[in-house]
Amino acid sequence: MPQDDKALLARLRERQAEFVVGGGVACVLSGAPLVTYDLDICIRLTPENLCRIQAAVKDLHPFHRLSSNQLPLELTDQLCGRLKNLFLQTDLGKLDCLGEITGIGGYDKVAARSDVMPLSFGACRVLSLDALIEAKESAGKDKDLGALRFLRAIKDKPKTEGRGRSE
Amino acid sequence: MIDERELERINGLYICPPDAGPGWREAMASGIDMSLIESALAQTPEQRLDEHQQVLDFALEIQGKLTSDAAR
Repeated sequence: MPQDDKALLARLRERQAEFVVGGGVACVLSGAPLVTYDLDICIRLTPENLCRIQAAVKDLHPFHRLSSNQLPLELTDQLCGRLKNLFLQTDLGKLDCLGEITGIGGYDKVAARSDVMPLSFGACRVLSLDALIEAKESAGKDKDLGALRFLRAIKDKPKTEGRGRSE
Repeated sequence: MIDERELERINGLYICPPDAGPGWREAMASGIDMSLIESALAQTPEQRLDEHQQVLDFALEIQGKLTSDAAR
């Protein structure tokens, strides 16, 4: 299954969805040399915004990837009111839409701790370096330790370049 | 004439910049190749995303091949 983060982000932006890029892709955008296999975004959990997200992926055969029987994404008013997250599989890859980010909070708090990054398809909000570090520290998962090392290093980066490799 | 220090650099010794902060030094001590971070930081966010996509595509291609080989 392919994973095309840029195409997914471009679609979300085109539909004017309110979102902030988090997780591994935010780490990559901040300069961490790692590979991540899904796209995590924090979203405003309003019916309007959820509908924008649905519209952005509607032709990509989206389904709830954590459901037992690959339930297709078909939002209703009732479902919108009960959703806290959306973990989707689409033809362009995994898209995890989170109502909040651990250690930071809901969309408004996350947006307040984000930077606007200019990209070829338009500017995107991306969780700031400091907030990324806080979120990873709060999550306290072993899998995040490597990313945390990269992020802390980037925060403390020297103004001059070192030389050679450090392996 | 190449002196011993220069030879070490040629062979991969990383010389940490004196103004590096504790996070940078900690990452270096843990064995991370700091030249990878330096090269990523020299890029724009868009270039980082594009490079990540190339690596990801390659990784997924290999995974797909391994999966299909295992199924045979």
